[in-house]
Amino acid sequence: MNHPLSVARPCAALARSPLSVAIVALVATFAIATDASAQSAAQRAVDAAKPLCAGGKTITIVWEAGLQSLDPLNFSGPEWEKQTGCKVKVVEVPTAEMFTKIMQEFRAGTGAYDALNVIPAWMPDLAGAGALEPLDALVDKYGYRAELQKIAPTYRDNQMTVNGKIYGFPDDGDVFVMYYRKDIFARDDLKKAFKAKTGHELAVPKTWKQFDETAAFLTEALKKDGIYGAAFFREPPYTMYMFQERFRNEGGKFFDAGMKATVNNDIGVRVFNEMRAENKFMPPGVEKFGFVENLATFLKGQSAMTISWPPYGRFAAGYLANEKALDWVPKSTIAGKVGYAVPPGGHPQLAAGFALSVASTSKQKEAAYLFIQWLNSEDISMKRVQLPYALRDPFRDSHFTSKEYLAKWPDAKDYLAALKAGSQTGLLDLSLIQTDKYEEALRQGISRLWAGEDSKKILDDVAKQWDATTNQIGLDKQKAVYGAWAAKSGAYPK
Amino acid sequence: MRLSSRDRRFSLSLVAPSIFLLLLVGVFPLVYLLVVSFQGITMTELDTSFQGLRNFRMLFDDERLWQSLLHTVIFTAIALPLELVLGLAMAQLFIDKLPGRPVFVALLVLPVVVSPIVAGATWSLMFDQRFGPINEVISWMLGGETTILWTIKPDLVYPAILLAEIWQWTPFMFLLLLAALSAVDKSQLEAAAIDGAGWWRTFFRIVLPAIWPVMAIAILIRALDLFRLFDIVWALTKGGPGTMTETISIFAYVKGFQQFETSYTAAVALMIIVLLSVVVMAALKRVELTR
Repeated sequence: MNHPLSVARPCAALARSPLSVAIVALVATFAIATDASAQSAAQRAVDAAKPLCAGGKTITIVWEAGLQSLDPLNFSGPEWEKQTGCKVKVVEVPTAEMFTKIMQEFRAGTGAYDALNVIPAWMPDLAGAGALEPLDALVDKYGYRAELQKIAPTYRDNQMTVNGKIYGFPDDGDVFVMYYRKDIFARDDLKKAFKAKTGHELAVPKTWKQFDETAAFLTEALKKDGIYGAAFFREPPYTMYMFQERFRNEGGKFFDAGMKATVNNDIGVRVFNEMRAENKFMPPGVEKFGFVENLATFLKGQSAMTISWPPYGRFAAGYLANEKALDWVPKSTIAGKVGYAVPPGGHPQLAAGFALSVASTSKQKEAAYLFIQWLNSEDISMKRVQLPYALRDPFRDSHFTSKEYLAKWPDAKDYLAALKAGSQTGLLDLSLIQTDKYEEALRQGISRLWAGEDSKKILDDVAKQWDATTNQIGLDKQKAVYGAWAAKSGAYPK
Repeated sequence: MRLSSRDRRFSLSLVAPSIFLLLLVGVFPLVYLLVVSFQGITMTELDTSFQGLRNFRMLFDDERLWQSLLHTVIFTAIALPLELVLGLAMAQLFIDKLPGRPVFVALLVLPVVVSPIVAGATWSLMFDQRFGPINEVISWMLGGETTILWTIKPDLVYPAILLAEIWQWTPFMFLLLLAALSAVDKSQLEAAAIDGAGWWRTFFRIVLPAIWPVMAIAILIRALDLFRLFDIVWALTKGGPGTMTETISIFAYVKGFQQFETSYTAAVALMIIVLLSVVVMAALKRVELTR
């Protein structure tokens, strides 16, 4: 790349007249501006970080423990150090403890963390407490706004700001996808039997009614071969997201205009009842299924349909199955047989996900900011979402259309199309002040549901706890936060 | 001998660091806890203003707190006698010289050296509905695949937790009681036998009084341990279904470290401290160990 000031040299002879001076100045300014906009956000971050990193600084970043953290440990951390001289220290924290650790450190004010991975639903709490640094000024300073706009709309519009200020860069396209066995749905004998039984064609379900009918039929037909019509993760922390999604897809609202909890309305009770009834056509003991148990069931070919996060699709396709870090993933017996679809209802939950933020107590906020800008940029995120061992999922428009990604396995185009569809219609996790209290009540309710208690009674208790929490926090205060959340495009199906 | 003021200062300077350390680790946290319990610190509010008795009033209205306390009492009331009886029976069994006795004793004591959270995780695998050996054995005995959800179904969660708890801590009772039984005066036992006293009479009149001080301490230690029961329950049920198996320790953890109800949790902690202090003092007085 030519340095922009080199444009000025041939013009030196003309520099005597005022008009010439003006023209030269105009051309030079244009050249500088053109060069700056041509330079990628990643390169800008690297160039700006170099002087800040002189002397070998270390950026400490909190990252989810496990596969997720292999990204900064094996790829992005060493690469950032190579390009800027800044070392990256990764503090691995289990998801369930991340919020606590971040808050504890913030309250202690030690400045131990510079950059953070935060689940977007936590942002109102963390930003409200002052634990996160507002990023607007730095975004403008380092010209990142244009690239932020290229993040897929649902993530960009819903997971970045609190009260209009940027507190994090959406960095993980977590969205629920429905996976189904194409080979099973293509079997003629099953098609005929299904038509004979129900009067309509065997097809990938688009509503929960269709899903229940199809899954029950497939279990009945295939159980003798050890295949169930469907299996889900049913542990309460996961099911909580599935309930939130389904409740809203069926028309439910979490609160009424007066901020009174309405999760115990007829829709909520019906969804609860249906969820429990579905366990009957799923593998025995499905109530205890977590992420791995459900994954193993699907990869072994023991369930015809499931709903989960995007990595299931990559694992099922056997994408780089020989990767050492993925030793724990059961070998896929269904590669090439998996179809991808938006879950019934059409609006999948953007369950959890991650955003990159800067800790307000960091002593090197600018260096931390530049690191997360670099991580989140078009160039670097494109590489990160394709790392076979990490769990970052596509979240930028360019990720869904990447020729390289589309060629990863034969059905990758369908996979990316399903993720893209989810990124356009996805539903946000409920996000309020002290969200965890609301979620905890729901998680407990789900564990009671599996224990066999009455759905209405459970949801009445959940609603009671939600109202108590709202009143404790302050009705008007929480109402304002809920109002802001509900106004977002991904809060409720439009 | 009367110390000169110089010597007194010197002696004080020698003990001062220890006293300071004791105050720092013993008294300061307690005082700080007391101060925080009268404030309004939460996750989002660093409100250090005086809130009066608000947090303590909230204790009385918090149904979940009292339920968790009740669950703790239930666990203690069932596990403690069972551990005591089983431990005593095992100790009685091993009091006589047996071939390979040291090896058996060492093996029996193994669960105690396992970290409780590991024990809980292990039992979670044992109770697993698909791969756990417990369901396997039951299925084999019943002659068909049986799925029993030990950590989900309300009528099974307490037995499951109690089984894990008793498995881990009965050996502790066994070890202490074995030591106590070994120290019982043999001549008294022989005299009782010569006088024709039966086993029960000998046990209640000679053995039990002899081992009572050790037994009382063992009961006290285990009761206090059971009162702060956390790990095994957390690993098996996380306090569920709902809050059905939530103990007071889990309640305090959730309130303090997941929901950041800092001041309220301080009030809960103070209540537990007061409650336990009263119980421990009464127990010590009863077994006359305060002397």
